[in-house]
Amino acid sequence: MTLPAEVPTDNAIIRLEHVSKRFGDLVVLDDVSMAFERGKTTAIIGPSGTGKSVLLKHIVGLIQPDSGHLWIGDTDMANANEQARFAVRKRFGMCFQDGALFDSLTVGENVCFPLVHHTRMTEAQRRERAQEKLTLVELPAVYDRPTSGLSGGQRKRVGIARAIVMEPEVVLFDEPNSGLDPLTSDTVDQLIGRMKAALGITFIVITHDIVQAIAIADRIGMLYKGKLVEYLPTEQFVRSKKPEVRAFLRRNIELPTDEDEPPTRRHVGAIGAT
Amino acid sequence: MTAIEDLGRLGIFIGRSIRSTTRNPIPVARTLEEAYKIGIRSLPILLIISAFMGSNLALQGYSAFKPLGGQGLLGMFVALAGVRELAPIMVAAMVAAKAGTEMASQLAVMRIREQIDALEVMAVDPYWYLVTPRFLGIVLVLPALTVTSVATLVLSSYLVAVYQLGLPAGDFIELVTHTTTGKDLAVCALKSVFFGSFICTISCYCGYNSESGPSGVGSATNKAVVVSAVSCAIVNYFISEVMYG
Repeated sequence: MTLPAEVPTDNAIIRLEHVSKRFGDLVVLDDVSMAFERGKTTAIIGPSGTGKSVLLKHIVGLIQPDSGHLWIGDTDMANANEQARFAVRKRFGMCFQDGALFDSLTVGENVCFPLVHHTRMTEAQRRERAQEKLTLVELPAVYDRPTSGLSGGQRKRVGIARAIVMEPEVVLFDEPNSGLDPLTSDTVDQLIGRMKAALGITFIVITHDIVQAIAIADRIGMLYKGKLVEYLPTEQFVRSKKPEVRAFLRRNIELPTDEDEPPTRRHVGAIGAT
Repeated sequence: MTAIEDLGRLGIFIGRSIRSTTRNPIPVARTLEEAYKIGIRSLPILLIISAFMGSNLALQGYSAFKPLGGQGLLGMFVALAGVRELAPIMVAAMVAAKAGTEMASQLAVMRIREQIDALEVMAVDPYWYLVTPRFLGIVLVLPALTVTSVATLVLSSYLVAVYQLGLPAGDFIELVTHTTTGKDLAVCALKSVFFGSFICTISCYCGYNSESGPSGVGSATNKAVVVSAVSCAIVNYFISEVMYG
């Protein structure tokens, strides 16, 4: 099975091969092939309703493709049975849009949830691990608090702590900045950058926020009408000549005019300053 | 969605719930928690409704039998109508309205807030985590609630019959105990197990497969209570037909 030439297959932790999905008459993913590099941060951008979240749900096996393969290591999630999918998911952490925290549990119980179900840790060990992750997301004092009192940004960060508490190989983010103010968004971006440096985890970020994508990602892919129209290292992506990419970027950031100009973080910074 | 599609999805839901329950250890603590919640929260309203249902039964029976000179048979009437039929279906309707709607709305909210997806991504079987303890909890507690309801209903009938209507206490007690057999209580328990199974399965199914948005939660809750109540009424008839027909 061949993949587009620009897709890196060396050191790939996840590979999609010609994945297609439709809901009724609506084609959500149309022959998508791509690979996610181990230890790197990949952002998938695109307008709303273009299949980004569906792609993420395919990766974790919540949705099965109509055709194609989705390899995670040696497991094809497209054809795996439930037991195999559960085994793969133990290697993943996922941060949902609003955190998807369980309302009946405290913050600490939420963060410890995967540890309770998948490890033989004692309560003290679980608390220590959860506290460590909460400190990493800059929420060291909320362990015993109910989730109902948390702000949107705090919920998101508790969700991140829960996603990394099992120290997974891959962490997926579904719109990590949606509903957040610019300052909190910036904090989340910095947090992802710090976690990448500290934990060496592979991050996959679904977002329609190009500023965030450029700030945190090593590689950016753009989904448009179910197709992967571009998938390049960040520096090359912002110079893409594809009309869909240009149109998307133009709506969000000031594009570099000089071919020799360095990468666009400067432009992102400029946006942050305005 | 057509009724046939819905039935098919319900069948798959039941199959997956049974598989998850049998393949995983029984969640004892969560089951007891659910049983406690369903039992304790339903108990006060159950006692009130059963008491007034029993007293009404005594009044209506008395007014129906008196013109025929058969008011002495009131104890038998209470045993036949109240113990065999009224108490089990009344408890089921009340639990469907209270615990069933709670199950449906909780799961529907969890669905729209992606908490069920989160369970799956964390490799925790959502059927085992969400459905199994609720199912076992309701099946455990509903027979106990039904027996409590029967006792309350008979006691309130007795109080009205003896102290308000002036019937002899000995006759009433003798007729109730003579008419109500061990089989009646066993059928009561059997009915309540069936009712509990139907209420939980239907309510969890409606919540688990809720449409997105607040209207989805409302619709799931409404559907859960309507379908549960109708199902229990139908099942009640067939069990009565098999056991007493």
